[in-house]
Amino acid sequence: MIISVKKQYDPLTNTFSSYELIEENQLVKSVPLNEANRDYQAIQEWAKIEGNNIIDNGA
Amino acid sequence: MALTRLPVANAIPDDSIANVKMANIVQSKNIIINGDMQIAQRGTSTASVTGDGYKTVDRFINEMSSAGTWTLSQDTDVPSGYGFSSSLKYDCTTANGSLSAGSWGFISQRFEGQNLQYLNYGTSSAQKLTLSFWVKSVKTGTYIVEMVSFATTKSQSQSYTISSASTWEKKTITFTGDTATAIANSNARSFNLNFWLVAGTTYTSGTLNTSYNTTTNANRAVGQVNLADSTSNNFWITGIQLEAGDTASEFEFLPVDVNLFRCQRYYFKTQDGVGTANALLMTGGVESSTSAGQGSLTLPTEMRTDPTLSFGSGVRFYSTGSSTVTPTIATNRSTSSNLSAAVTISSGSNGQAGYCYQGAASGNIIGDAEL
Repeated sequence: MIISVKKQYDPLTNTFSSYELIEENQLVKSVPLNEANRDYQAIQEWAKIEGNNIIDNGA
Repeated sequence: MALTRLPVANAIPDDSIANVKMANIVQSKNIIINGDMQIAQRGTSTASVTGDGYKTVDRFINEMSSAGTWTLSQDTDVPSGYGFSSSLKYDCTTANGSLSAGSWGFISQRFEGQNLQYLNYGTSSAQKLTLSFWVKSVKTGTYIVEMVSFATTKSQSQSYTISSASTWEKKTITFTGDTATAIANSNARSFNLNFWLVAGTTYTSGTLNTSYNTTTNANRAVGQVNLADSTSNNFWITGIQLEAGDTASEFEFLPVDVNLFRCQRYYFKTQDGVGTANALLMTGGVESSTSAGQGSLTLPTEMRTDPTLSFGSGVRFYSTGSSTVTPTIATNRSTSSNLSAAVTISSGSNGQAGYCYQGAASGNIIGDAEL
């Protein structure tokens, strides 16, 4: 189960480049921006649910 | 007759051994990967399982909701005399004897469509699929196994019976081919094979659907016993083979390196060393500022897609002239052929060489491209 999702910015280019995903077991994952990735798909579905927000602290 | 000495050295190409190995992979008749439960990169046991996820043996995902609590493990209980060394065990630790309508639980493997094109689905030549497996359960009765087309939302279910409690039995089931709908030729999830263990009335109240039709939940698992109704219930399965045609052949044993290689297309985990072995994980350096390091490792095989990246708690980063630090992933730069990350570190000097290594227990790096 997803606990939180935060945008990650590449420190070299300052561009949005992946998601930090934290799951119920506190495992921290870095998810690529690739539609074929299972975790990416899960984040998109999670974000559709009212009350779930992707954190964006900027570069 | 005079013997003629053959020019053997000239007849065998230099890369012939590699070709034999690749032929073994390409010609594999078993659509199932890790059907003998030999590979368990994530670990050999996970307790307190109540929901979805890959828990222990590679390529087999647990799908579950309101279906009790389970320990899933790679077990050594196997059918004797058939060459198996491992099975997947489900041990019910908290029962659910009163399922809700929507309760469900099954073991599943998911397939890429590009690996199933030879089945000729969507044509009059669509091939049948024959499933064979060994199973043992404390609870006798009817069980359901199901093929589900993820892309077309069509499915087909077949039943089998466990006749004797706590006894290994071999089962063989044939699924008809789908002459109406082709399988998309891509790396996306196209089909699931589901072994049902638990099903509420949402999935059991209709008539079992035994040919490819648009999925109706009520027809998916009609007759399925409730394996979650007692903490005495254990379930083992191994030797799963799914092959084209209507005949089950002997299980195709693969060398462990080939089996692992096939699993690593979907999940890769560096091995834990002994204690704090300081094993090198990623090489790289410090880039762009004093707080960003970078590292990369080449994968043993092309993964299905760009993988999710995670670090175990024991991963450390060292760069020349700075102390060891615990890195966090700033961004995932991985591709299907390498794991790569920019990492945030507390100290470092721009331009210095550096690397990630196993500095403590659980110092592993994981790439996950599962379906």
